[in-house]
Amino acid sequence: MPIYVEGVALEVSFADARRNLSELIFDAVRAAVDDSGRDMGEIDSVVLAAHDLVDGRSLSSMVTAPAAGAYLRDETRYSDDGAAAFAAAMTRLEAGDNTRSIVAAWGRCSEHDPDAFSRALFDPFMTRPLGLDEFVLSGMRAQIYLAGDGVREARSRATSRRREAARRNPRALKSGGFTSTPHYPLEETDMPLWADITVAMVLSTEPAAVRVAGMGQSSEPYLFGDRELRSIRSLEWAADRALADAGLGGDLVDLAEVDGLTLIDEALGLEAVGFATRGGGMAALADDPRANPSGGGASGYSRPAMGLMRIAEAVLQLRGSAGPVQVDGARTALASGSSTVAGQTQTAIVLAAA
Amino acid sequence: MSEPIELITIPGNWNFDYTYFAGHAASRFFAALKDSRQIMGAQCPACHRILVPARSFCDACFKRTGDWRPVGPEGTLETFTIITAAFPGLPEPPIVMAYATMDGADTALVNVLHGLDLTDLAAAAARLQLQPRIRAQFIDKPQGRITDFSFVLA
Amino acid sequence: MAIVGVGQTSYKRAHTELSSADMIWTAAELALEDAGMGVDAVDVIVMGVAPDALAGENGVEKTAIFGAGKPYVRVNTGGVTGSSAAFAGASYVGSGRAKVALVISLERMGQATTSQQVFNTIFDPVYEKDFPLTTITMAALRASLLMRVYGYSERDWALIAARNYRNALRNPLAHIHKDLSADDILASPMLAWPIHRFEACPMSEGACALVIAAQSAVGDRTGAWVQGIASTSDSYAMGDRFHRPEGTLVDLLSLRRSAERAYADAGITDARTDLDVVELYSPFSSAEAMTYPALGFCEPQHGPRFIQEQLTDASLPVFNPSGGPQAANPVSATAMVRIAESALQVRGMAGEHQVPEARRAVATGQGGATQFSTVCILGAERPE
Repeated sequence: MPIYVEGVALEVSFADARRNLSELIFDAVRAAVDDSGRDMGEIDSVVLAAHDLVDGRSLSSMVTAPAAGAYLRDETRYSDDGAAAFAAAMTRLEAGDNTRSIVAAWGRCSEHDPDAFSRALFDPFMTRPLGLDEFVLSGMRAQIYLAGDGVREARSRATSRRREAARRNPRALKSGGFTSTPHYPLEETDMPLWADITVAMVLSTEPAAVRVAGMGQSSEPYLFGDRELRSIRSLEWAADRALADAGLGGDLVDLAEVDGLTLIDEALGLEAVGFATRGGGMAALADDPRANPSGGGASGYSRPAMGLMRIAEAVLQLRGSAGPVQVDGARTALASGSSTVAGQTQTAIVLAAA
Repeated sequence: MSEPIELITIPGNWNFDYTYFAGHAASRFFAALKDSRQIMGAQCPACHRILVPARSFCDACFKRTGDWRPVGPEGTLETFTIITAAFPGLPEPPIVMAYATMDGADTALVNVLHGLDLTDLAAAAARLQLQPRIRAQFIDKPQGRITDFSFVLA
Repeated sequence: MAIVGVGQTSYKRAHTELSSADMIWTAAELALEDAGMGVDAVDVIVMGVAPDALAGENGVEKTAIFGAGKPYVRVNTGGVTGSSAAFAGASYVGSGRAKVALVISLERMGQATTSQQVFNTIFDPVYEKDFPLTTITMAALRASLLMRVYGYSERDWALIAARNYRNALRNPLAHIHKDLSADDILASPMLAWPIHRFEACPMSEGACALVIAAQSAVGDRTGAWVQGIASTSDSYAMGDRFHRPEGTLVDLLSLRRSAERAYADAGITDARTDLDVVELYSPFSSAEAMTYPALGFCEPQHGPRFIQEQLTDASLPVFNPSGGPQAANPVSATAMVRIAESALQVRGMAGEHQVPEARRAVATGQGGATQFSTVCILGAERPE
C-alpha cells in the first residue's frame, strides 16, 4: 500500500546557544507534526537516525528520542543515514506494524568535531594508522574523476551554480558553519558546509500531497580498494531498485536530490542514479537546474541527517513550496542518502506528487 | 608454516571533544541556582505537571512548557543508593545518591545526599528507606551548575 | 513469519582470536547453516551494534559488509539493540520487501579498557555528568525503591542471581559457568547498596544472528513462529517516572505496554500457564523483579512471593534457561540472544538446557535506564 508524506520540517542553523540538542530536535519534530495537521495521539511510531559520536554521548537516543515524540511510542534509532530511517519507517507502515510514523534525523556540527568522527570510522588495523578520513577517499575519487573530459571546466561552473542555489534557498545556512581542510585535489568549494541540521517528517498510509513511489537500498564492500572508484555502484543498485519499485521504467524523474559528501561525490551520485550520463554528472550540476536544486552540500551538511534532508527538499519541490529554488512543474523526484564510510550503503527514494 | 601466528593487539585511545550547548532553558535554571539559590520547575500547559529541572518542553504531552516557578526548599526522599565501589573518574565512595521530590514539584530530582553517618551501611539504608524529609543545601558560592546544591536531611 | 536459523558465538570476556568482522561472519554463517540457506537467499541484512565507544570502532559493522549489494542498515538502541534489529528485520519481511531477513548483533566490548566510563556517557551532560551516575547506581536506585514499596529483601535479589548462574551451567555458550549460591552472592562486595557484585552482569563479547523468513519461504524447516512483537519507549529522566498516573519508576511501564500489545497479538491471556519459557533481559537480578508484574506473572505486591514460587512450582514457566544476562551480557546482542534462546527452545534445539515440551516463549529486551522495552513471543505452532 502506498505511503505518503503528510508533514515535513527542516532547519539548518549553527551554534544556536539558546537551544540544546533536544530542543532543536523538538522544534523540528513539532513543526513537522504541525505541518501534517495531525495530533500526537494519531502517531504510534518514531524512527530516528542519529549517531552517538555526533551527539556526544553513548546511546544518545535516551535523551533525544523523547524530544522526537517517542513517549510511550514504538521508537527505534538507526546509527545510519536518515534516508535509511525513512525506508525503515516505510516498512513499518507497509507491514501494518504501525499506522503513522515520525521520521527524524539530525547532526550538530557546532557541538562535535566532524573530522575526528571521520577518522574514527576507519578500522584500527589497516586504515586508521594511516590517518585516513573520508575526504581522503573523496579526494582519491576526485583524482580519477577530474581527469575526465571537460570535468574541471564544468566544476567551476557547478561551484558557481551551487553557491547561487544555496544563497537563494531560504532553508540553507545563512551564517556560521565551517569547512574542513580539503585534501588535494579537492578544493574548499568542493567541501560540505558543516552545520547544525534537524529534519523531520510524518509518514502514513493516508493520502497526502506527496506519495512515496519507490524505495531501494544497497551496499558495497567496506575496503575502498575492493570497490570501483570511478562509480558509486551501491547507489546505482539502490536507485535501480527504487525506480523499478516505482514502476517508472526508463523514464527520468523530474529532479534529483542526491547526497554526496563533496561536489565530486554529488556529481558521481547523479550519474549513479541515472540523472546524468557517465562523465556528465559535473556538467549536470553546472547546467541543469533540476540537479540538486537545493544547493546540495553547500546549503549545510551533517552526518547522519543528509539523506532525510535530501528527501525533505524533494518533498517541498513536489508540493510546489520550495520557494526561489523551485523546479517548475516537478511531478517526480529521486532523493538519496549515503552512509559512512565513504558511502558504502545507500538508500534511494522515489517520490511523486500525488 | 609450522609456527603459530602471534595474535596482534593494537593499543588505542578514544578521545572526542564536544561543546554541549545547554540552551536557554537550562542556562536560566542554572542562573536561578547561582543568583537566587532557587530550584526552578516549569509547568506543562497540557498535563499541568511542574517539571524539575525546569525545561522548555514536556515530552509526555509534546508541548512547550509555560510558567516557571521555584520549588522546595524542602522535599521528600523517594529512593536512594549508597555507592561503595570506586569507579574511575568519579568521587571517592561511600556516596549517597538520591531522588527527591521537592515540595511543589511533580517530578523528582537526583543529587548527592550529604551529612549521613555511613559507618553502618545497613542502618543508614534503613533510615533512608523511611522516605525522610530533605532540604536542598547550597554551597557558599554557587556557580550555576547542578552541583551548587546537595540534599541534607531536614 | 518464523525464525528458521540461529547462530551464536560463545560469550566471553574477549575473543582475542577474532576481529569484529570475524565475529559477525561467524554468527551469520552459523545462522544461515542452521536455516539451510545461502547468503543469496537473504534480501536484507540488519545490523545491531550499540555504543561505538565500547568497541572503539566507529561504524564497526561496516567492516563486515557482505552479500554483494544487499541492503545493509544498522540499528543502535543501546541495550535493546538486539531486539530492535530483529524487529526491524521482521518489518522488512512483514512489508513484503523481503522474504528473508538476516539480523546480526555484535558486542565488541572486550576491546574497551574503561567500559564503565563509556556507560557513564549515556547520561545527560548538562544535569547529570557531575554525579556518579552509572548503570549500576541507576539500577540500585530502583532496587532500593522496590524494597521499600514491595517488600523485597537483599536475599530475593541473590536468589534470582543464583538461579541464573545455575541454569547457565547447562549453556555451553554462556560466559559465566559458576554455581554460586545466594550466600555466595550476598557475600560478594557491595557495589552500590543494595546491589552486590555477583548480581551485576559480566562484560561479555559475542555475536548473535537470526534468519527470519516469511511464511512462504519457511518450507519444511522447523521454525519459531513470531506470534507477537512490541516495543515501547519511555521518558528519559528517571525523576519523571515517580509520580505520574501511568505508572511509577518500578512499574516498568514500557515493558507492561509492550507485553499488553504482544500478548494480544499472540492470544496470551494468562502468562503463568500460556508460556513455557521466559528469557528476560535484566542486567541486574533486582531488575528482574520489575518484569514480573509487567509481564503478568503476579501482582506487584506479590513479587517476593513469586520468587519463592519459582523455586517450588513446576507448573510455572522456566525463567532464563540460558542463564540470562547474568551469565552473559554482550550488550548490543543481549536482547537478540533472548530471542535466539527462545527460538531454540520452541524449536526443540536448545540442547543441554532444553526445557521439555517448550511450545511458547517470551523474550524481553531492556535499554537505557529501563527506558526502552521490547517483547517478542515465539511459538512452535505453524499458523494455518
